[in-house]
Amino acid sequence: MNLLKDRKKARSYREFLYILPFLVLVAIFSYYPLYGWVYAFFDYKPPFPLSMDKFVGFKWFKSIVDSPTKINQVLKVLRNTFAISGLSLMFSWFPMVFAIFLNEIKSKGYRKFVQTVTTLPNFISWVLVYSIAFSVLSSTGAVNSILMGLGLIDTPKLFLQSSNNVWFRMWLWLTWKNAGWAAIMYIAALSGIDEELNEAARIDGASKIQIIWYITLPSLLPTYFVLVMLNLANFLSNGMEQFYVFQNSFNKEYIQVLDLYVYNIAMGSGGYSLSVAISILKSIVSLILLCVTNTLSKLVRGEGFI
Amino acid sequence: MKLKKLISTLLVAAMVIATLVGCAPAKQTDSTPTPPAASTTDPTDSTPSSGKAFDKLLTIENYNVAANYQGVQSGWFAKVLKDNLNIELNIIAPQVAGGAIYQTRTSSGNLGDIVLLERSDFADCVATGLIKDITNEIYNCPNLMVFKDQIEAYNKTIPGNDGKIYGIPVEMTNTSPMSYSQDVIYSSPMLRWDLYSELGCPEIEDLDGLLDVLAAMKENHPTNENGDPAYPFSLWPDWDGGDGMMGIANVVQLTTWYGEKIKQSVILKPDNTFTPVTDKNASYYKILHFLNKAQRRGLVDPDSGTQDWDTACAKMSNGQVYLFWYSWQVGFWNSTERLKNGNAFIFVPVKDQLYYADSDSYYGSGRIIGVGSSVDAEKYERIMAFLDWYASPDACEYQHNGIEGFTYEIGADGRYYVKYDNALMDNLPVPEEWGGGGYNDGFNKFNQWIVAAISTNPKTGEPYSTQYWSTYKESMMTQMKKEWAERFGAAEPVDYMKKNNVLLVSPNVSITLPGDTPDISVIRNQCMEVLNDYSWRMIFAKDDAEFNAMWDQMSKEMDGLGFQQLVEFDKEVYSIELQAKKEAAESAR
Repeated sequence: MNLLKDRKKARSYREFLYILPFLVLVAIFSYYPLYGWVYAFFDYKPPFPLSMDKFVGFKWFKSIVDSPTKINQVLKVLRNTFAISGLSLMFSWFPMVFAIFLNEIKSKGYRKFVQTVTTLPNFISWVLVYSIAFSVLSSTGAVNSILMGLGLIDTPKLFLQSSNNVWFRMWLWLTWKNAGWAAIMYIAALSGIDEELNEAARIDGASKIQIIWYITLPSLLPTYFVLVMLNLANFLSNGMEQFYVFQNSFNKEYIQVLDLYVYNIAMGSGGYSLSVAISILKSIVSLILLCVTNTLSKLVRGEGFI
Repeated sequence: MKLKKLISTLLVAAMVIATLVGCAPAKQTDSTPTPPAASTTDPTDSTPSSGKAFDKLLTIENYNVAANYQGVQSGWFAKVLKDNLNIELNIIAPQVAGGAIYQTRTSSGNLGDIVLLERSDFADCVATGLIKDITNEIYNCPNLMVFKDQIEAYNKTIPGNDGKIYGIPVEMTNTSPMSYSQDVIYSSPMLRWDLYSELGCPEIEDLDGLLDVLAAMKENHPTNENGDPAYPFSLWPDWDGGDGMMGIANVVQLTTWYGEKIKQSVILKPDNTFTPVTDKNASYYKILHFLNKAQRRGLVDPDSGTQDWDTACAKMSNGQVYLFWYSWQVGFWNSTERLKNGNAFIFVPVKDQLYYADSDSYYGSGRIIGVGSSVDAEKYERIMAFLDWYASPDACEYQHNGIEGFTYEIGADGRYYVKYDNALMDNLPVPEEWGGGGYNDGFNKFNQWIVAAISTNPKTGEPYSTQYWSTYKESMMTQMKKEWAERFGAAEPVDYMKKNNVLLVSPNVSITLPGDTPDISVIRNQCMEVLNDYSWRMIFAKDDAEFNAMWDQMSKEMDGLGFQQLVEFDKEVYSIELQAKKEAAESAR
């Protein structure tokens, strides 16, 4: 009896050792950095180390909203964040549909070609994307040269400088860069669909569209939902590289999202404490969003995703 | 209560970690400085330390705010360092790595073996014990002791310093704090001589007159020779907010044309009073409005707000720009050949202007070199040997003139002659015997000099800068230069300015100004962003009404971010500098 218990105990130790490396990694890379949050409660300025006489409590949190101008600024930033995240959420079905249609291409060579071409932009850095955008859209770029050559306009149009439809244009760039990559997940899911289902449907006389609608799409939906939920939890993080390279004085009012705002505040002249304070708020809101969507998912689908 | 206790426990725990991880190393306690040996100040009577043989190759880490290259120095200058001192320079450049590296390196307690910092940061680093006290050794460095007065004057200004030496200013000169030795000033209107004389060299009364001239140039030559569209103005946003001035970099430089100088959020006027940048009667508004008018007349490159510096430079060297305003811009166009052909850029006076210029940087340009506090004794000796060598005439010739026999040569008459004056621009391949590689690629990546190029080379009695060599000037006496001299009655632009009393020279002083508090730095940053964004949009405004509406909206927004507080802070800070300048000017009289 005792032996059995000991063996069980030994096994549980062993199994604990299996996951220990991962726990250590999580602790080092996910929990240890949280210590940096203390900077939000101090008047921090490098190279002076933190000391208790510089402790300021919640001053930096309050300073985010202590004047109407600042409130206005934060609201604008939030509006941009929500608009851009909302837009990509609204169109989040796009890679899935793209994957389905890609899968329908019969010629294997052509399919591989399309997939490679659409996946490649994912590996180009945003800085390079901007230089492509600049050479295509600047006043002497390809687009303006063509339009002027055709006599459609007489003065060059300043595409990069305009603040019209910034959110949509940003979504277009993001889609151009990411659609192929995002479709990979769905292509994998597609290959997991039982071929028998398709065959049975075909024998029953279902058209191609019907097969997609009644078989392919429902089989992809679970994957889609999980990805949407994760996106929802990440609602406040649009990343900053894209907006950093595309921002200029003319479109900043519409392009400055939360991550970029934090960067612009901190890196210019070392407003470390304030930007940490904003990041903390962001993390807390993200955590709440994650819990809310998980509960929603439990209510709607009967199972959570975490 | 419980929560409070928990928070405080957590904070204490975090503090413990912070002190464990981020503490500075124990200060070296050599607090009894031996009296400086005064007799070693004559550079001739002691062996130059560069002559010492070091048989072990040493890598020196250099934290360098001036560098725009990160990594180990390579090419011909690396060979110079190896041959003379047997060292290798590993440069850490915040301009490349990002400003946050300053925060991580300072909290690790080791910024670098040799550090080059802005003044106020340097004072902070001295206060936190990151910089070594070099009092004992520096007096034994003959080449550095040429600048003894300047070095001592600087170190006295470090807050809380009692007679010790920590830092060496850079870009010092051996002229005087009141003199202006250069032929051109940093910012002045410069036009293409061929395009200007094509119009009959008209007199330019004011900024509107300048616009008329530029508009005529654009009408005559809407494109460059290759057919690319050309504009009088091509601006770039990368430099905005730099150089201790709020606002668009291209605008703030132009404010010096009216004797005003922007000091962060305030403008120093010729009558020695300060006014906020947002003052509608001051020069920032005036110049911004000037650029807006230019834009409305189609004289501004439409890509100005979105192109980067490299793109702008490419346009300069392609001849797509008709107005230069930084003295360095001519480097992208003027060449010996173009000076001979008469199509080079040169200063053309505008009658109502008064030009502001900072005098020779006798006390240094503002940045400081120091030694990291954690270097060991052996490394320390080698570093001091390097710094002393770096200030020696031999090293200055490498830094300012290049390689003897390659970029310049010494004639039979003992005078120095320029051999290739475009070696840097063309990145000429260097022969293997001098280290190989491209000339520009192997150029000194420290990118800052202890001795300024305008200083006199004791070997020749002329400035180090090749442009001031008598041999170079003789060879540059082209038809164009003669025409210019005849038209304006002066040999060089600065001669013209001095003669007509339109040059305002601000004396160079040695002073350490207090740095920003965290609150002020946040306000500064946020106001700067608003100012820059609105400024760009104002340049592209449709009419005066839109321009003024934007200006008012901008002022309102900046006030909402605490701009008035910032102005008060800057006024106080720069009054200290102003006072020192007044005293310097009086004592020189």
